Amino acid sequence: MTQRRAVVTGLGVVAPVGTGNDVAWQALTSGRSGIKPVTRFDASGYGKAGIGGEVTDFDPSRFMDAREVRRHDRNTHFAVGATGEALIDAGLLGEDRKVDPARADRDRFGIVFGTAIGGIGMISEGVQTLLERGPARVSPFMIQHMIPDAASGMVAIQFGIRGPNMAIVSACATGGHAIGEAMEAIVRGQADVMLGAGTEAPLVPLAYAGFSQMRALGTPIDDDPTTASRPFDATRNGFVIAEGSAVLVLEELEHARKRGAHIRAEVIGYGSSADAFHMAAPAEQGEGSQRSMRAALARARIGPEQVDYINAHGTSTPLNDRYESAAIESVFGEHARRVAISSTKSMTGHMMGAAGAFEGWVCARVLETGCIPPTINYREPDPELTLDYVPNEARQADVRVALSNSMGLGGHNSTIILRRWEGE
Amino acid sequence: MRQAPPSRDPSRRAVVTGLGAITPLGNDVETFWRNLRDGVSGAARITAYDPANEEVQIAAEVKDFDPRTWIEFKAARRMSRFAQLAVAAAAQAIEAAGLTIDDANRDEVAVAVNTGAGGVGDVAAGQMTYHESGPKRVSPFMVPMLSPSMAACQISIQNGIRGPIITSVAACASSVQAFVEAQRLIEHGDAEVVITGGTESAVLPVAFAALNNMGALSRRNDDPRGASRPFDADRDGFVFGEAAGIAVVESAAHAEARGATPIAELAGGALTGDAFHISAPDPSGDGAARAMVRALRDAGVAPDEVDLIVAHGTSTSLNDATETKAIKSAFGEHAARLAVTSNKSMLGHTLGAAGVMSALNAILAIRDGVVSPTINYETPDPACDLDYTPNVARALAVETAIINGFGFGGQNAVAVFRRLS
Repeated sequence: MTQRRAVVTGLGVVAPVGTGNDVAWQALTSGRSGIKPVTRFDASGYGKAGIGGEVTDFDPSRFMDAREVRRHDRNTHFAVGATGEALIDAGLLGEDRKVDPARADRDRFGIVFGTAIGGIGMISEGVQTLLERGPARVSPFMIQHMIPDAASGMVAIQFGIRGPNMAIVSACATGGHAIGEAMEAIVRGQADVMLGAGTEAPLVPLAYAGFSQMRALGTPIDDDPTTASRPFDATRNGFVIAEGSAVLVLEELEHARKRGAHIRAEVIGYGSSADAFHMAAPAEQGEGSQRSMRAALARARIGPEQVDYINAHGTSTPLNDRYESAAIESVFGEHARRVAISSTKSMTGHMMGAAGAFEGWVCARVLETGCIPPTINYREPDPELTLDYVPNEARQADVRVALSNSMGLGGHNSTIILRRWEGE
Repeated sequence: MRQAPPSRDPSRRAVVTGLGAITPLGNDVETFWRNLRDGVSGAARITAYDPANEEVQIAAEVKDFDPRTWIEFKAARRMSRFAQLAVAAAAQAIEAAGLTIDDANRDEVAVAVNTGAGGVGDVAAGQMTYHESGPKRVSPFMVPMLSPSMAACQISIQNGIRGPIITSVAACASSVQAFVEAQRLIEHGDAEVVITGGTESAVLPVAFAALNNMGALSRRNDDPRGASRPFDADRDGFVFGEAAGIAVVESAAHAEARGATPIAELAGGALTGDAFHISAPDPSGDGAARAMVRALRDAGVAPDEVDLIVAHGTSTSLNDATETKAIKSAFGEHAARLAVTSNKSMLGHTLGAAGVMSALNAILAIRDGVVSPTINYETPDPACDLDYTPNVARALAVETAIINGFGFGGQNAVAVFRRLS
C-alpha cells in the first residue's frame, strides 16, 4: 500500500490585512499593515498599546443567518466565514451551502479547528451581566458559545461535516497543531478530507487588561500604529493583539486527483514538543522549538538544507525573536544564513490561536506564487539577530519547501512543513 | 481470542499502567472506586460560594483538596484549580505506574489532557476585578492561568515532560477524545508514554446561571443526592461537577521493557460529528451510533464482544433517550444483553473530566470484575429500556468495555478498553 499523502486543495482567510484569499495576499505582498487603533471598544485607557489587528471588512452574514450571527461569539463568525471561502475555493460547497456529498463523503470529512481562548468576549459579557443584572439575565447561549470548541462545532453544523471533530488548544501554537493533526488524520486514514484551521477573537477589554498587565504588548514609534509590530528589529518591545481565522482544506492525494481538484501544495511534515520550562517564558535558546523543528524535518524525511523559506513565529517580543533565531541557527547550521525568514506578524499582529493556521496559509501561497512577504518595520538590526528576515520588501524566489513555526504560553511548540506541488 | 486488527503492530498496542483521580467521591483512585461501587453520591449543597440566592444550589464538588499535598506552594498559587486538580491526579498516576521520567525518556513522553472550559474561573474573576477596580488591577497571571492547555502544560513543567503536549476541547466529550488521541500517539510511534485524561473545575455563579438558563440543570436543591438520575423517568437535568482524572498510557513494548504491569488495554476509539445543533444531540442518535460502530471497528472488536458500556448518561431528558436509541442502533440485539452504567448518577456531570471518569470506571471494572451501578434509578422510562445496572453494583467478568462522551455542538467520542490476555 502506498503512503497516503495530504495535499492542500482549498484556502480561506479572515485577517486584519483583509478578508479573502486575494485581498489578504495582496496586502501582505505589498507590505501593508493591518494594525490600527481599536474600534471595537474604547481602548484609550491603554495609551499607545490601544491598537490591534482588527478585522474591519468582514461580513458574518455571508455564511450565517442573522439570528445565528447574533447568538455566536465573534471567533465563531470568523471560523464559519473562512471555512465558507475555503470550501468554495476547494470546489466542495454544494448548492445547499453544505459540503456536496457527490464530491466528498461528509462522514469521511473531519475538522481540527483550534483556538487559544475561545469565546472570551462571551464569558466576560456574561460575568458583566451577572454582576449588573443578576443570574436570570445571563444568556442561555453563553456556555455553548464560549467554550473553545464552539467554532469547530458550528462549522460542522453549518457545512454538514460529520467526521472527526476536534478543537485543539495550545495557546499561540494552536494553529500549527491544528494543521499538523489534520495532516496526520489523513495520512493515518481517519478521514479523506480535513479542515486544519484556527480562529481567535481576543479584541475585548479583559484580554487587553491581562496582556497589558503581563507587559507583553508592543507600542508604536511616533504614534503610527503600523510600526508597533517589528519582529527581529532591535527596538521591538512586544506583540500586537490581533483577530481572525484561516482555514486549509487538506485532502488525501488520490481523493483530490479523482475529483480533479486544484492542488495548491502538500503538507509533508509536522512536529510538536514541550519546553517543560515555564508557564509564560520560552525555554532558553528556543530549546523546545529546536526539537519541534527537528521532529517535523524527520517526519517530512528532508534535511534542513532543503528548506527555502521559514515563516517565523516572530512575535516582536524581545525574548521570542532572539530565541527563535537561535533555534533556527542551531537546527539549520550553515544553511540558517541562506534560508529566507519572514514574520508576517509584522503586518497582521498576533492572531494567537489563528496565527499558526494563518501562517500555514501564507506558506501555501508562497509555494504557489514564489513570492515571499516581507518582515516590515525592520529598521534597526539587532546585533544578536543576524539571519535574513526578508526586510521590508517582498521577494520573488524559487521556494520548494516552506516551514512554519509556532510557540505558545506554557511551552507549546509546533512546526509544519509544506512542499510546492509539482504534479508528482 | 481477541486479536488486534491485523495492521496493528502488537508492540505498538496501548496499555494503561497507572491511574490518578481527584473527584467528588474521593481524592485517590481506590476511595473513588469504592464509593462508586457502593453507590455513594458526591452531590451536595455548593460550598465554593454561597448559593442562597441562586436557583440551583447543588453541585458535585471535589472535597478537602489541598494542592500542597502534590504541588509546591508557590507553583500551586499560580495555577488555576482545574490545573491543580490535573497535576495532582497526574502525580498519583505516574507514581502508581512506577514511571520514572528522566533524561533517558522525557522526550518520548507526551501529555494529552483535555478540558471543557479551562480557566473560565480566571476569566470570571478577571472580569469582576476589571468591573470593580479597573484594568490595572487585573492579574498579570490571568492570561497564562486561563489558557485551557495549561493543565497539560503544568503536568509537563512539573514532571519535566518534553514530548508533544496536546489539549483539545470537545465540550463534554473532551476527555474521551484525549484517550482516542493517546491511543493514536502510541500506535503511530509519536510517543512511548502518554499522560492522558481530563480536568474541569468551573463551580462558579456565572456557569450555573448560564447552564440553568439553558434548562440543563436539575433543580432538586432539597435532594442533592437524588438529583442526578440518569435513565430514570423523573430525570430533570444534570448536576454540575468538578473532577480530574489521569491515566498513564504506554506502548506494550515500553511497559514490558520496564517491567510494568498493565491494568487494561486501550484498544481503540473514534470521533464523529453530528453536524446538527449547538447544544441538542441529533435525536436520531446517528452521530453517537456511528462513533460506537467506528470505535469497535478501530479496536477490532465485534459488537457482541462488548460487556459494558459506561454511558454518557447525563440525566437530561434528551441525552439519555437519544443515547439509548444510539446503543440499540449500534449493537442491535446485543444491546439488551450488555450492562450499561452511568457514573454521573454519583459524580454529576464533570464536563471535560466526564470522559476520564468513565475511563477510570471502565478500567477498574475490567480489573476487578465489578460494574458500578446507576443510582437513583426508580421509575423506568419507556424510552430508556436497557439494563442500566440499577442501584447496586454487580459482579461481572468484563472483558471489553466502551466509554461514551457526547458534547455540545455534536461532538461524539468513544474509546474501547479491554482486559489483557
